[in-house]
Amino acid sequence: MPKVKRSKRPPPDGWELIEPTLDELEQKMREELYDYCVREGYADPNLIAKWKKQGYENLCCLRCIQTRDTNFGTNCICRVPKNKLEEGKIVECVHCGCRGCSG
Amino acid sequence: MAMSLSSNTYNRQNWEDAEFPILCQTCLGENPYIRMTKERYGKECKICCRPFTVFRYCPGARMRYKKTEICQTCSKLKNVCQTCLLDLEYGLPVQVRDTGLVLRDEIPKSDVNKEYYTQNAEREIRNSDGTIPTGALGKAQAPSDMLLKLARTTPYYKRNRPHICSFWVKGECKRGEECPYRHEKPTDPDDPLADQNIKDRYYGINDPVADKLLRRAATMPRLDPPEDKSITTLYVGGLDDYISEQDIRNHFYQFGELRSVSVVPRQQCAFVQFTLRTAAEQAAEKSFNKLIIRGRRLHIKWGRSQGAPRPRDEGADPNLTESGIRMEPVPGLPGALPPPPTSEETPQANYFNLPPSGPPPLMGMHLPPPPGIGPPPPGFVPTTFPPPLPPPPFIRGPSPVHYPSQDPHRMGTHMGKLQM
Repeated sequence: MPKVKRSKRPPPDGWELIEPTLDELEQKMREELYDYCVREGYADPNLIAKWKKQGYENLCCLRCIQTRDTNFGTNCICRVPKNKLEEGKIVECVHCGCRGCSG
Repeated sequence: MAMSLSSNTYNRQNWEDAEFPILCQTCLGENPYIRMTKERYGKECKICCRPFTVFRYCPGARMRYKKTEICQTCSKLKNVCQTCLLDLEYGLPVQVRDTGLVLRDEIPKSDVNKEYYTQNAEREIRNSDGTIPTGALGKAQAPSDMLLKLARTTPYYKRNRPHICSFWVKGECKRGEECPYRHEKPTDPDDPLADQNIKDRYYGINDPVADKLLRRAATMPRLDPPEDKSITTLYVGGLDDYISEQDIRNHFYQFGELRSVSVVPRQQCAFVQFTLRTAAEQAAEKSFNKLIIRGRRLHIKWGRSQGAPRPRDEGADPNLTESGIRMEPVPGLPGALPPPPTSEETPQANYFNLPPSGPPPLMGMHLPPPPGIGPPPPGFVPTTFPPPLPPPPFIRGPSPVHYPSQDPHRMGTHMGKLQM
């Protein structure tokens, strides 16, 4: 993740605790270390595989694209782009609480 | 709760399995594309408590998901929507519809009696066409105009909105923006409409919505028959120059024989007089607020006296038949009494109790009396005479003519042949 701060707001509580760890991850990560993390279960390879696909870069979780979990064989409501959803409607996905992971 | 032995619900063969729900247009919503889930034996019917197929669907954006609440058998018995339990034809509560159609459908409501009834009804439905409602509703009826007036013309989608968020009412809704329930003021709990019961609504008993509608129906404009029973005249207003006397005759003859029709073009009205009071009442009921001739809605009211008022200027005298014979006032109606029989009656064979030929016509009744004063004061006991029959063969001379059909010169009479 690039280190550039995009938001103007100050970060919430707890940021000071995790900032050093995240910076270290940024610096020390290399391919061998990455493979190790994936193998050991610190990272979910299936989800990462989806992030590599176009349109799924921000996918929240794998349950939300599982069509077998829905009544009509569709994706979760969080996968609907905001411009297709009628305005002003805040949705929280029932699986993971995501508020929109595409678009 | 008592259960009959044969209603054992382990008897799965008899559970309902429907293909498509019975729903009204409002419950289905405005979107013609609907996705529906079907769950066989999903819930028990709210009325008969038997398992049935539950259909669940979303009736539009920002609407709550609706599902069928009662089984198809119960729905067909009362011809109501499976979700909202309102009549499929009018969209009115069962109580209102039954009152409007004067239907008394006494289906049992409790215990084994109800189960027995629904079981038999289901069997009957299965063997029948499926399109005609069973029970009392199946008999053909004329569409009731009171119900047509009470029914909505456009669908009422506010019924499909989500329920009120009870947490928000208490001030405790943590979901905020994403809360699917309505954050609005709830309805007044003292309002009688607040306590409704699905069983009451279904059986048509003690339904507050129905009571409200029936009260509204009672205040709708009505035309009551006047107490003076001799009035058989209807005032018909709102005519224009294109409506002729023939048009009026063409409409009103279906209710009974017309004694006279007189059109007053200057006042854009007509007076239609029947020979029988019942005919006039029926005509009033079927025409009041409904009659449209040549595109003009006519205004019906009761007329005043027995003789239709003579028109001021031109126009046929309504008391003459087509061939010009003066019609006497009908004796059978109270107030228009013939003079008592004199001693010369007995030599003449008055077998049919007919009044003597040539009773004096009622004078002073041609002009409409001022309102409030009826025909001659009710000092007489009105004796009812049988309606005058065509003259029997052995009475000589023309007998009095009261109806146009008694006119001897009219087409089809036997007057000439039977005289001896």
